[in-house]
Amino acid sequence: MNERLLLGRSIETGSWVHKLDARSKITGMLLYLAIILISHSWAAMGLLAVFSVTVMLSTRIPLKYFIKSAKPLRFLMLFIFIVQILSVKEGEAWLTFGSFSLYEGGLRLGAFSVIRMLFLVTFTSLLTFTTTPGKLNQGLEGMLSPFKRLGLKPDRLTMMIGLALRFIPTILDESQIILKAQASRGADLKELPLKEKGRMLVSLLVPVITSAFRRAQDLVYSMEARGFRMDAPRTRYHRLRWGTADTLFVIMFIIMGVAVAVL
Amino acid sequence: MKELYNTNEAADEAVISLEGVAFGYDPEHPILHDITLSVARGQWVSIVGPNGCGKSTLVKLLNALLPKSAGEIIISGQRLEEDTIGSIREGIGMVFQNPDNQFIGATVEEDILFGLEGQCLTYEEMDVRLKQYTEKLGISGLLSKHPGELSGGQKQRVAIASILAMKPGIVIFDEASSMLDEGSRNELLHILQGLRNEGYTILMITHDADEILASDRVLVLHGGSVAADLKPEELFLDQELLAKCHLREPYPWQLARELRRLGIETDVPASEKELIETLWPYNYSK
Repeated sequence: MNERLLLGRSIETGSWVHKLDARSKITGMLLYLAIILISHSWAAMGLLAVFSVTVMLSTRIPLKYFIKSAKPLRFLMLFIFIVQILSVKEGEAWLTFGSFSLYEGGLRLGAFSVIRMLFLVTFTSLLTFTTTPGKLNQGLEGMLSPFKRLGLKPDRLTMMIGLALRFIPTILDESQIILKAQASRGADLKELPLKEKGRMLVSLLVPVITSAFRRAQDLVYSMEARGFRMDAPRTRYHRLRWGTADTLFVIMFIIMGVAVAVL
Repeated sequence: MKELYNTNEAADEAVISLEGVAFGYDPEHPILHDITLSVARGQWVSIVGPNGCGKSTLVKLLNALLPKSAGEIIISGQRLEEDTIGSIREGIGMVFQNPDNQFIGATVEEDILFGLEGQCLTYEEMDVRLKQYTEKLGISGLLSKHPGELSGGQKQRVAIASILAMKPGIVIFDEASSMLDEGSRNELLHILQGLRNEGYTILMITHDADEILASDRVLVLHGGSVAADLKPEELFLDQELLAKCHLREPYPWQLARELRRLGIETDVPASEKELIETLWPYNYSK
């Protein structure tokens, strides 16, 4: 599957996680985020790894899809790891090369940071892989509905998120086409020195932004032609249903949080 | 303006009626002016003309995607005003040129449901329509697909299913076949013929000779007004008008014209098959 298509894509396998209410999955992911932040030992990380992989496997979605979702962040993870081992000077010095020493504390913190980020990205992909964007938006809208009293418009917010997710792959494809068109006229971005690249990026951004505006205008026409009116009432085909499985799913994360905090 | 086609008959049961309609950002240089026409229920009308003559603008005025500057528009007996925009839009479906830009949902299912949810239908009604129209357009196996996984023809089928599921009486195609390959174009033509048989009123902006020939009537737009209103056969016999619209006659017509020039008597053929049948006796006579 095209990597760009993985963005915001659901992969239907009919597993138990797929059948859960979007709200329980969003709650689970928020709890998972908290669990990651309170994991400070190798034992906690190990337990988290076993838990995460087990839940991912239970979705019947091949693990490679989860790993692929973290691939774009591999350089950022490497950068964080290097910064940690260079800046943290705690614990024993394991290796020394001249004036530079590799400390146990730096290595541990570097590894923890990378593992945390890896878990965060791969596991939270579970939310988008097992929930269609429509259901996800509906879940988010349901969770944000109490904020309506404060003047927040959850339906507008979720509509914006949904349309952004829908159009990101299209706009990325378009930028690739423009890049190739420029390369065919002798302005290959990959071949240029860094300074020139910066200047050329402007000539890429202008047509991409113009095209995005044109697409937005067409989309508005399409939405209005289908009778869309802002803040008008709408019914839903997929209804939110919180069941026992949803409660158990959230409890599972709470138990996991307690276990990680103890370790 | 050339001969008005079916004017009286169309006025009898007109579902679309325009009287002195104009549109423009600058009143001194309107994009459209003095548009007066009516379209009968169940009629398939092709709208042709050179680029920039106001074809897309005209159809966008019909469901108030653009506001008219002057004149009167009546759709299915309702005068187009601020209060009636909602109900008029429910009665007019519109399929646009670029299949990518009209895909609102992240999946085929969500895209079809977008209009139905806006119509505040019950779950049961949405379920029935979803199944009915995806089967009708042959896309029932694509419900969970993302737009990036579909071909151009499939995307246009989704767009048509999304529109038809809302049960409009009028369907407008704004150069809907211009970005499609030959196979998908033929599929679309087949779908259009089916819609005509079911009694839909069709307005189609097109440059395709086969699509024009399949329609009941042609409106030629030039310089912001209706330059001609005639039957497709009449358009293809008028070389001056064809040149004005930057159109070419269908291939069998071109061939028949060349044969007549060479002294082989052939009538204007309705299709390639008819032309072959006309030429077959010449083959045997040799």
